[in-house]
Amino acid sequence: MDQNNSLPPYAQGLASPQGAMTPGIPIFSPMMPYGTGLTPQPIQNTNSLSILEEQQRQQQQQQQAQAQQQAQQQAQQQAQQQQQQQQAVAAVQQSASQQATQGASGQTPQLFHSQTLTTAPLPGTTPLYPSPMTPMTPITPATPASESSGIVPQLQNIVSTVNLGCKLDLKTIALRARNAEYNPKRFAAVIMRIREPRTTALIFSSGKMVCTGAKSEEQSRLAARKYARVVQKLGFPAKFLDFKIQNMVGSCDVKFPIRLEGLVLTHQQFSSYEPELFPGLIYRMIKPRIVLLIFVSGKVVLTGAKVRAEIYEAFENIYPILKGFRKTT
Amino acid sequence: MPGGGHCPDCGSTELVEDSHYSQSQLVCSDCGCVVTEGVLTTTFSDEGNLREVTYSRSTGENDQVSRSQQRGLRRVRDLCRVLQLPSTFEDTAVAYYQQAYRHSGIRAARLQKKEVLVGCCVLITCRQHNWPLTMGTICTLLYADLDVFSGTYMQIVKLLGLDVPSLCLADLVKTYCSSFRLFQASPSVPATYVEDKEKMLSRTLQLVELADETWLVTGRHPLPVITAATFLAWQSLRPAHRLTCSLARFCKVANVELPCPAASRLQELLAVLLRMAEQLAWLRVLQLDKRSVVKHIGDLLQHRHTLVREAFREGPVGLEAGEEEPRGQCGGPGQGKEEVASGSCGLPVGKRPASPALLLPPCMLKPPKRACPPPPVSTVTGDENISDSEIEQYLRTPQEVKDFEKAQAARQDARSVSNPP
Repeated sequence: MDQNNSLPPYAQGLASPQGAMTPGIPIFSPMMPYGTGLTPQPIQNTNSLSILEEQQRQQQQQQQAQAQQQAQQQAQQQAQQQQQQQQAVAAVQQSASQQATQGASGQTPQLFHSQTLTTAPLPGTTPLYPSPMTPMTPITPATPASESSGIVPQLQNIVSTVNLGCKLDLKTIALRARNAEYNPKRFAAVIMRIREPRTTALIFSSGKMVCTGAKSEEQSRLAARKYARVVQKLGFPAKFLDFKIQNMVGSCDVKFPIRLEGLVLTHQQFSSYEPELFPGLIYRMIKPRIVLLIFVSGKVVLTGAKVRAEIYEAFENIYPILKGFRKTT
Repeated sequence: MPGGGHCPDCGSTELVEDSHYSQSQLVCSDCGCVVTEGVLTTTFSDEGNLREVTYSRSTGENDQVSRSQQRGLRRVRDLCRVLQLPSTFEDTAVAYYQQAYRHSGIRAARLQKKEVLVGCCVLITCRQHNWPLTMGTICTLLYADLDVFSGTYMQIVKLLGLDVPSLCLADLVKTYCSSFRLFQASPSVPATYVEDKEKMLSRTLQLVELADETWLVTGRHPLPVITAATFLAWQSLRPAHRLTCSLARFCKVANVELPCPAASRLQELLAVLLRMAEQLAWLRVLQLDKRSVVKHIGDLLQHRHTLVREAFREGPVGLEAGEEEPRGQCGGPGQGKEEVASGSCGLPVGKRPASPALLLPPCMLKPPKRACPPPPVSTVTGDENISDSEIEQYLRTPQEVKDFEKAQAARQDARSVSNPP
């Protein structure tokens, strides 16, 4: 069969930059997640700087029994020296940019309030390149780093669970609460909703509860506490044990169309694209373990994260790959 | 050589125990004389150990293979034969089925899922050999639901860790086009509708390539696009007699099912062709519309690469002015609006080629369904105080509880009255 002449144009001579051929492992990606010296907007830099500072602090605190420990220690020593110079600069800039950031986009300020970095170190950001830890000083990185995308994924949904610590009588709850529905034939849990934050909870008779629909970790926690309070007021000795975020879903838009057929050809081992079944490409990134739904319009949905940083990291990993499939005639 | 015994013919002592089929005989090895022979017929019980054993029973493979797996393997072979696949495909599909069966999740699955698994194995085999088989075809053959099929398919690809290539569009075009019953005159096909297969195939292929290039194929089911392309190719080969035929009628005559989205794909493809036509001077003056452009599809396809490049532009306007070669009539993609008066252009507004449209997938060209407001800045910390009044609003007052209980009891009574036990 004469297939060569009908090879689609996007697959021919794919001028893939280095980033396009890498699997989703950030170790190969030459850039750090939140900005390098090439990032033009200082606003982004300071956000990333605060994150990187925390990240550095954690990496110093925690014992990382990894193979690259020595490399890390060397990198950290270098970074620490440079960091001290920057902290003075950053302190001045942070206060100025905080107001600017909040005005600029509604997305970034959440980085300031984010407390999720206390839960786990950022996986996969073991610095093989010592210099990119310093986004303020415009050092040209050793490798051709692609600049940070400047796009921050929006969190759309957080699923969390909590244990109320006591057995519950679902019939009583359904009877005495206004915002509850209970249909034992259909599902063995009470479905309760509150207006602020706008969330839904599934409350089981064992005392376990699932809270969905919040847009941030703090909102999810607040909502779960409100549900626990409602159950408490209904007469049960409810506690608030083992609150845990189980899943986070984020979405963003890269604002250019993507050749999904080309992406599935070059990243076969991670992608699944079946247009007969679903219009989007399902990309299973290994590090961090996130599933991305990539659509032809350039919209990307990221899910499967336990912490916010995983979503950001996954997006920063996929962005150079997607840029490689931006059609350039 | 057995002791004692001479051949009555030649007298040699070289006697050999030999059997002629199932009859044991004593034969002289020198002259071939049969000295003695055994009983030709045996009783059923005598033959206990001599009966023929089928190959599958002799190897003992079926003792290890459960009946449902055997049934599944038979179904796989049957499906391969129905689809007239080469014999090597059969072995591969059977191997995949056996491999899948080793997983406990598949062994314990419902019969419906095992039935669908048969189709999945055949589909994976075909995809790996670039044999264009659509999921719709398999679901029709198996009387299966596409949802069930898709779930099982995704699961099995993940479970077996398989690398399944995408559906090859060109092959699918060839197979699908060949299934159209338009290549010979028949009572249902008028003479003016009959078309040469090669010409139609090549034109359809070109149209599908054009659709692919202009973002009409990515993310969509491939078959409706191919149907629309086939229809346009067929119409354009003899427009005088065929322009009156609609897409639905075309599919009916050709004895092919019309997929739902084909009509909208047809409109999108025609819009692309119209845009391309505006770049050709001799077509611009004709003021083409969606029907008349069909007559010129041949010309448009001949120059499709250039026309697409000129009719569409990639990103924001004004930045690529340096890249475009200066055209004799008008400077490249200047402004986005066609009504902008251009001092550099000598032609009047109506005669100018339309400024390039954005080459984007249709989903990006449509205006957004609802305005997405930027999310409000949230300053929630998660540890705030929760006021009692806020929680009270979610609790029923005792009066409400009583009313609710009364209403529930009334409903129960009504139900028990209407459904007497």
